Amino acid sequence: MSVPAANILTTATVAPAAAVAGPATRDRGWLRFLEIAIPGAILVVLLFFCFIWPLVYPVPKPVGGSLTTVNLPLWSKGHILGTDAVGNDVMSRILYGGRVSFEVAAAVQAIGLVVGGLIGLVAAYRGGWTDAVLMRILDMFIAFPSLVLVLAIADSLGPSETHVIWALSAFSIPAFGRVARAAALGLRDRPFVVAARLSGTRPWRIMFGHLVPNMMPQLLTFGMLGAGIVMILEGALDFLGYGIPQPTASWGNMIATGETIISVYPRYVIVPSIFLLVTVICLNLFGDGLRARWGVR
Amino acid sequence: MTETVLTGSGETGSDVLLEVRHLVQEFVLRDFGGAKGGVLQAVSDVSFDLHVGETLGIVGETGSGKSTLARSVIQAPPPQQGEVIFQGQELVGLRHKALKAARRNLQMVFQDPFSSLDPRWSVSRIVEEPLIAYGVGNMAERRDRVKSVLDLVGLDPGRYGIRRPRELSGGQCQRVALARALALEPKLILCDEPVSSLDVLVQAQVLNLFEKLRAELGLSYLFIAHDLALVKQVSDRVAVMYLGKLCELGPVREIYSEPLHPYTLALLTSIPDPDPQVGRRDTATVIKGELPSPLDPPSGCRFRTRCPMAQARCAAEVPELRPLSDGRYVACHFPLAGSWPAEGALPQASPAMTV
Amino acid sequence: MAAPATAAGPGRESAIQLAPAPLLEVSDLRVTFRARGTSIYAVQGISYTVEPGQTLAVIGESGSGKTVSARAVMGLLPGSASVAGSVRFRGEELVGLSQADMRSHRGRSFAMVFQYPERSLNPTMRVGSQITEAIRTHEQAGKKEAHDRAVDLLKMVRLPAPERRFYEYPHQLSGGMRQRVVIAIALACGPQVLFADEATTALDVTTQAQIMDLLLELQQQTGTALVMISHDLGLAATYAEDVMVMYAGKVVERAPAKELFAGVRMPYTQALLDAIPRIELEPHVLLPVVGGRPPDLAAIPLGCPFAPRCPGVQEDCRQEAPPLKQHEAGRWWACWHPLGKGARP
Repeated sequence: MSVPAANILTTATVAPAAAVAGPATRDRGWLRFLEIAIPGAILVVLLFFCFIWPLVYPVPKPVGGSLTTVNLPLWSKGHILGTDAVGNDVMSRILYGGRVSFEVAAAVQAIGLVVGGLIGLVAAYRGGWTDAVLMRILDMFIAFPSLVLVLAIADSLGPSETHVIWALSAFSIPAFGRVARAAALGLRDRPFVVAARLSGTRPWRIMFGHLVPNMMPQLLTFGMLGAGIVMILEGALDFLGYGIPQPTASWGNMIATGETIISVYPRYVIVPSIFLLVTVICLNLFGDGLRARWGVR
Repeated sequence: MTETVLTGSGETGSDVLLEVRHLVQEFVLRDFGGAKGGVLQAVSDVSFDLHVGETLGIVGETGSGKSTLARSVIQAPPPQQGEVIFQGQELVGLRHKALKAARRNLQMVFQDPFSSLDPRWSVSRIVEEPLIAYGVGNMAERRDRVKSVLDLVGLDPGRYGIRRPRELSGGQCQRVALARALALEPKLILCDEPVSSLDVLVQAQVLNLFEKLRAELGLSYLFIAHDLALVKQVSDRVAVMYLGKLCELGPVREIYSEPLHPYTLALLTSIPDPDPQVGRRDTATVIKGELPSPLDPPSGCRFRTRCPMAQARCAAEVPELRPLSDGRYVACHFPLAGSWPAEGALPQASPAMTV
Repeated sequence: MAAPATAAGPGRESAIQLAPAPLLEVSDLRVTFRARGTSIYAVQGISYTVEPGQTLAVIGESGSGKTVSARAVMGLLPGSASVAGSVRFRGEELVGLSQADMRSHRGRSFAMVFQYPERSLNPTMRVGSQITEAIRTHEQAGKKEAHDRAVDLLKMVRLPAPERRFYEYPHQLSGGMRQRVVIAIALACGPQVLFADEATTALDVTTQAQIMDLLLELQQQTGTALVMISHDLGLAATYAEDVMVMYAGKVVERAPAKELFAGVRMPYTQALLDAIPRIELEPHVLLPVVGGRPPDLAAIPLGCPFAPRCPGVQEDCRQEAPPLKQHEAGRWWACWHPLGKGARP
């Protein structure tokens, strides 16, 4: 005996609230689905090509190209996107560079989610001094303009992918901390949490059994939306020379090297930029679609 | 520890389950920037007793403080002042393990059935939570207890055990909340408007369930509602609250047939009667004006700004809740029936009153 | 009204008095929601009329369709709703009108007051501005004129210190005062029908009485018809002239209030009455209840929608849904075996 259909109308506020909202809109269920499906599909395709494709298809190496094949134009035989100034296949560098971007974004957001999420959760649940101290520490990091902070850390650590991840984590941890704290605060006084306390459940169980699962939609969508920003920051780091060192490919340093000869060969800037742009847009749309679907505000 | 004092009916009773004395719950309101904006005294010097097996109904409107009162009793959050003595043990000031142990026989059912259950947990898990928290039995024993308590509230454990709250109706959710409250075999259940969000027919079903369980399990309830007729349905004694204070307290039939406090009369007059012959009653004679701001309650008697019978004394002197006759307590200088004896012989509002 | 010539020819002229069109005439109104591939039949063919100055109570529980049908009349349903049937306001068909045309009706011909006044008012706008906005949407009125009319409206809804209140924000007012403001906005352009959708449910019982008294008084003053939508039969008994009971998207009973409560026909209405806690009853008495829940609106049952729960159900109830018919003067019910009336003819 299913209930859901009747529930749409039996919870008095659902249909009417939407009704008063404004002009008539069609059932946009299919549109919502596309909002998530299309960017999601593009991302999946990109991920496939960056991570799996080079394992099954002999893609030319991203480094060590021969000087006989420099600056080949687009659609050249064997080099679909041409080659760069030292003969490396551009397509291959895009794919391997994409790997770097995705890995860094995923790692940074994962670290932010776990560490920042934990900090925000504990601060919100404990309140009082714990909350004040933890939040002031996070505030210190947030107060710095993100790029400056990240630059400073990357500079002191030295260029490498791992160091880029640490540096960018200094940005994502406080961000997640803020979001997690807000989410947890919103949940903390809800009757089911009070009921759990009344049932005698221990604080750790309440935090991880009740609060965390109900915070996940907010944290995950924030993670998605933030991933795009992280990618751009990573690109900026590379562009400025503090990130992934040459000759390893990354979209950012490809743009950097291409920038010097942009007037002659604009494609070396445009191609990686397009890939970066499409990826970030898809991440944003996907994250936004998830947010709408899960009703996160 | 409990003193044997004359109760309203003339019997001696030492079966007081809950004693609340001079309870005060305040909230500090902060303006932007954290500066203190004002103090809201949601519960102001409330005292009463609750006996084993009795249902005490607390009735009041917006701002009366009745929900805050319930929360203060369970110490979530703890009150600023006053005592809450449950089964002979003082709850105020207890923390963590001690509070958990003391609260074992005290449970609560909330108003909104959906938000009182974790939307991601299954029904069985929800009901099992208190058993796990108190380390009752092993897994098999707990499962059995969950099954039997779900049966008790009229939900087939086979069908409903794995469901989530969003798959249930309001009435079913409230049954789950009740099952959870019953898991540990409590003595007292605080019910904070448990049926106000439910439809009429479902409300009756759930009310009957409360009654049935009360009889079968010998439960006591502190039943909070804004609906007078509802409160009468389930209570043995009724307390009326207004702006954080108790106005009147007494046996249920007498409160309704012969209210002593003008506010009680106003409430009774305002209820629309499902008998068109009765028609509209003129409420202008029993209450006027608007509810004052709880931040700045009127001096003296808090009801005086809306009371048609207010006099100078009402503004000057706070009326204490005092026994007027057998088991009937009222906080009014000029109660509607009966009168106070001469000034000198005024009975004191003693802390040992078994109301 | 001239008697039209009938097809039967001269000598058989019947003097057909064409009655003036009722203020609001709802005929076979059907509302269906489409959500994720399923259709939900929220309102399944209801018909009723509202005369000028009448007070009608529409009573039902959640899912009965009472709110949806009112919003269908006002054109306030989301796009996923399809409305069929006819709603005539003074003879003018409203179903199928464009949003722009409906906008000119809303506020001027009919208006609605909702359950939560704090949601109906813009928290960032002064109360007076919200009223003047309503006035100036429908009528050409200068700022001063609109201001004066707004203050008059605030006086009319008995808001103390109306000149001062004009400049206040909603959060500075109590719940009852806010609802009065909402009523003032609703009545600003003199609508002929006022829908009150659970308008007093969220208010204290003392405030509820005051607001209902106010509404009835305003009705007398302005001649507006009032359609009260509620789940509270007590409210209907006390304040309404006519009561219409809805269940699972259909009207199941309609009668003048006094007659309805004197002798209920439809078992569902009786169940509602029985389930209300009454002051007259003794405490701890178990209320007579019907078990079960309202039917799933995605699948219209074959027989009477109340059959699975009806204490007096019989075989024919499950086979065929009883139609709503006027069995006695002014009394309609949809039941094969109504209470107090015996078997179906």
